[in-house]
Amino acid sequence: MSKRKDKAWYALFTVPLLFVFTTVVIIPFVIGIGYSFVKWDGIPANPKVFVGFDNFVQLFQDDRFIASSWNTVQFTVLSLIAVNVFGLLLSLLVTTKLRVSNAARTLFFMPNLIGGLILGYIWQFIFTDAFKLIGQKTGLGSIFFNWLLDPQFALYAMVIVFTWQMAGYTMIIYIAGIQGIPDDMIEAAKVDGANMWQRLTRIIFPLLMPSFTICFFLTLSGAFKMFDVNLSLTKGGPNNSTEMFAMNIFNEIFGYGHYGLGQAKAIVFFLVVAILTLTQVAITKRKEVQM
Amino acid sequence: MKKTKKVFGLLTATALIAAMVGCGNSNGNGSSTGSNSPSPSSSPTAPASSPAAPAEKLKKISIFQSKVEIAESLEALTKKYTEETGNEVEVWGSAGDAYSTQLRAKLAANEGPNLFSVGTGSDAEKFKSYFYDLSNEPYASNIAPNIALKLDGKVVGVPYGVEGFGLVYNKSLVDPNNVKDLASFTAALEKLKADGKNGLSLSQEAYFLIGHIINYPFALQPDSKAFIEKLNKGEVKMAETKEFQEFAKFMDAIKANTGNPMEVKYDSQMGDFATGKTAMVHQGNWSYGMLKDFGDLGFEIGMMPFPLAGNSKLSIGVASNWVINGTSGADEIKAASAFLNWLLTSETGKNAIVNEFKFIPAMTNIEANELDPLSKDVFEATKSGQTIPWAFNDFPQGIIVNDLAPATQEFFLSKDMTGEQLLQKLDALWAKAAK
Repeated sequence: MSKRKDKAWYALFTVPLLFVFTTVVIIPFVIGIGYSFVKWDGIPANPKVFVGFDNFVQLFQDDRFIASSWNTVQFTVLSLIAVNVFGLLLSLLVTTKLRVSNAARTLFFMPNLIGGLILGYIWQFIFTDAFKLIGQKTGLGSIFFNWLLDPQFALYAMVIVFTWQMAGYTMIIYIAGIQGIPDDMIEAAKVDGANMWQRLTRIIFPLLMPSFTICFFLTLSGAFKMFDVNLSLTKGGPNNSTEMFAMNIFNEIFGYGHYGLGQAKAIVFFLVVAILTLTQVAITKRKEVQM
Repeated sequence: MKKTKKVFGLLTATALIAAMVGCGNSNGNGSSTGSNSPSPSSSPTAPASSPAAPAEKLKKISIFQSKVEIAESLEALTKKYTEETGNEVEVWGSAGDAYSTQLRAKLAANEGPNLFSVGTGSDAEKFKSYFYDLSNEPYASNIAPNIALKLDGKVVGVPYGVEGFGLVYNKSLVDPNNVKDLASFTAALEKLKADGKNGLSLSQEAYFLIGHIINYPFALQPDSKAFIEKLNKGEVKMAETKEFQEFAKFMDAIKANTGNPMEVKYDSQMGDFATGKTAMVHQGNWSYGMLKDFGDLGFEIGMMPFPLAGNSKLSIGVASNWVINGTSGADEIKAASAFLNWLLTSETGKNAIVNEFKFIPAMTNIEANELDPLSKDVFEATKSGQTIPWAFNDFPQGIIVNDLAPATQEFFLSKDMTGEQLLQKLDALWAKAAK
């Protein structure tokens, strides 16, 4: 009786979600696979011409697509490092017996509550106006200039904004991980004479592996498919130098009206993200240790 | 404890279901064009069967259009239409930049609007399977010569109004007689620079950076449409065409003597112009709306032609056209045409076009008396035929934003890129985009 009831409750909460997930993710995805084999300009009344794998061949000859993948790789690697280093540092900071640690947690987490679009627009102002002003006032013109007008620095600017947004989130996960480590274990290590560095590398990091798995996954997939900051901060400019995967697909579809080709890119994009994240999870999972 | 959990669960479930039902409902109402469910507020307006109905009751129609600027006035106008005629019109929210995407989505879902707007040229070409033939409608004969939206010899669209762009200049700083060709243009910029003024300002938005200004070498070709087709096929090159070569020199002069447009946005561009820091901006009559917010400028403004290859005409064209969705039902087409007729011929409608929408009329039956200075220059040029077309309407889709603008960004950002190199780059990009 009660088991049946459990199932009913289970269904009550799962079925709507399953329904939504199927209608807005699964079904469009399957339809999308179909579109990737046609040439179509997106006007419903205009013909969809079946071209087989032409779109997939064509996308590898698209210099701009290749360039955007390179941008994405650069961005992802830099973000992966920056987000996790800062997230970890912040979590270590706020788990010490600091008096302001609670306030600090809130503050560090806060950027994550602001949408990426808004963050992008705010930082656009900082990079264009504030940076320029600082550069003029302090004479450090070689560091403080409008980063968004320099191809390489515009990419760094995106990394900064993304880190700003994500570090607080990963911090929360690391905090949970750190708090899951029994105090007596650390105590024991202290008694055995392990210094801070040894405690970190020999005890805390290995026991934090589950948190690393989650955080790496989140930052890796998040950075790879990032669109909002890209759009609001640089719009892919200057001269397409910060155009990332997602934005390239968006431009292909809605800019040029190449629905088929864009869809083919999106499928490739999906595969790449899936392979990358699965590999990463598999690798980091293996490193997890049982307490 | 257990009880509270249960109650909470039930509540959540109800809320969820309510939300789903709610969504379904509002969706149905918002998008279904055919359903004529009378809402309580609309029931007093005489139903079709009522003997008191003054005229034939037409079916309710929907309008979807791209200009956010007129969204509110249009909605107010449709209320007046309902008051005057008893027919109902529903205006869907304008989406601005995402308009085309949303229009496609709605058409794809067979929930397309009855009356909508399209651009001119390649934009209209895309949607042509939807257009209803307006050639025989009474208002079509009032469209000013040569600017009706025509496809295959049929009138399919009525222009919103004409718009024009050129060099908007500060009359106290610039004398148009001194800006007649490349040499005098450059000299004017140099002189202004020496006086501590910015001679000319473009701004970083794709159309204001390159889209509009590159129109000149195209529009000055004997047949711009044929030229673009040849360019698409790779039979001609910009770098080998005289007008473009001069265009490159103009770009060099702009780069050398004015501020970097990549650091300028539309609003700062107009702000600097309004405060007298910039002497000329490359803008259209639409920019007056922004200038007006500054109040009394303290100087007079006007619009003059961009003097490329001795050009003495303003670039004038039609950005948006009204079209009727030919795939909607016959009675809806009839109702849509009736609304268009009312908009273009009734006093209320004509007044709204000029005074509420602030359009420069593209109809011979609409007078425009109180135009702002920039619109006046455009209107004068239109009437006297001193115009060159908007050739960029025939460019391949998306090329300005996706290809021309990034290349121009590079031109303005890199120190040693010349106008000639810009042209070569544009040629290469064009060859790829036109495929």
